[in-house]
Amino acid sequence: MAENNFRALQSANKGKTYFLLASMGALTWLVAYAALTYFGAGTTSTIVPMAVGFALIGVWGSYYGSDKLVLTMTGAKLITREDAPELFNVIEEVVIASGLPMPKVAIVEDSAPNAFATGRNPEHALIAFTTRILEVMDRDELQGVIAHEMSHVANRDTLVSAVAATTAGAIAILSDFLTRMMWFGGGRRDRNENQNPVALVVSLLVLILAPIAAMLLKSAISRKRESLADATAVSFTRNPAGLRKALEVLASDTTVVQQKSNAVAHIWIESPLDGHTVSKMFSTHPPIQERIATLRAMESLGQNES
Amino acid sequence: MKYIVIGAIALLVLFVIAQYNRLIRLNITVDEAFAQIEVQLKRRADLIPNLVETVKGYAQHEQGTLDAVIQARAKATSATTIADVAAADGALTNALKGLLAVAEAYPDLKASANFLSLQEELSTTENKVSFARQFYNDNVRSLNTAVKTIPTSFFAGFAKVGARDFYEVENPTDRNVPNVKF
Repeated sequence: MAENNFRALQSANKGKTYFLLASMGALTWLVAYAALTYFGAGTTSTIVPMAVGFALIGVWGSYYGSDKLVLTMTGAKLITREDAPELFNVIEEVVIASGLPMPKVAIVEDSAPNAFATGRNPEHALIAFTTRILEVMDRDELQGVIAHEMSHVANRDTLVSAVAATTAGAIAILSDFLTRMMWFGGGRRDRNENQNPVALVVSLLVLILAPIAAMLLKSAISRKRESLADATAVSFTRNPAGLRKALEVLASDTTVVQQKSNAVAHIWIESPLDGHTVSKMFSTHPPIQERIATLRAMESLGQNES
Repeated sequence: MKYIVIGAIALLVLFVIAQYNRLIRLNITVDEAFAQIEVQLKRRADLIPNLVETVKGYAQHEQGTLDAVIQARAKATSATTIADVAAADGALTNALKGLLAVAEAYPDLKASANFLSLQEELSTTENKVSFARQFYNDNVRSLNTAVKTIPTSFFAGFAKVGARDFYEVENPTDRNVPNVKF
């Protein structure tokens, strides 16, 4: 069962993210190729850079200012040591364990227990907690939650999700542009006359299906980063039981964070949306019972870890 | 041909620089990690006089336990080498555990606000000390691996970076078989 210790889990989840990010890149390339087949070089060479540019501009701002932006979007308020000395004590413990700089800390007034982390790099990190999570969790559980959030900071998940969002965004814009152009009959001026009709149909299919595939990949990346953060959290605290109990508390609690904005759903430790999503494949978090089971497996070999 | 040779040499130089810097960086991280342990040990040592005074006010008959803590603290603050610091740290941790166990028998003490806040401070510092140890040992592990594995091992002498000692807390009670009486 050596595959279940946190080091193995960390590298497995990292490997899967790289694979998924590479798949995203391949998908972008495929879409560009489909555009090339359908519309020819002239249109493609203007449309593709434009789509990537739009997506980059859109995502870059929210990535760079993520700490401030999320504060306004979630209504979180920054707090200092005097407001919650015990919370700060536990955060400082995890900060020492992780070797990261001290993050900014914020509180969200909400009756659902939850927490999130954001910030473009460890120096600009922000972790936030709902008022409820501070009430329901004991010290060990809170330590697990904080370690999970600090793991997102350590693994630079804001960057990873920004890259995923940019590619998914570019693909969406691209496919939107190109399908519109098809309906209005433009853009095929520079088409090669002896085109293979099969290639045309295939590229049309690719253009239509690519945004859905990109969404699926983006969700899969988010799920892998969650699993990675759970494993990294254990590497910080060496106490899988703390995070496991915390997740059990979250699982047994049926209230969800009031704001269900899609834009910030992926950053919470427990997803506020997944209860309603159509399918497991679109959810941003792995099923909470699965996460609990993984942590429980780590507990059983905890004795061997120094 | 000439350019290939120049290119190969340039790559080699870059490689050597990268290995050298990696060793130096690991070594600095270990130094920083050890400094963090010392900061937290100092914090704990500073908490103790206050704790001893508070306990004394409520529990006059526990002079033995209090003396043990005071002695362990004195030893811990005077230790210098890693092995000594680690040993004294372990002894102090045990003495403090004894003191907190004694406090359990005094309800007035347990209820006092001063004691409660000291207890919180002490438990967070205790956690910080142990996380600082863990972080130090993890970094020593990476450094020692780098020093002993190829290719970094070739540059260890040149960078004047060697394997470092782990911070091992000799906790005598950890190895004792629990004494069971019927």
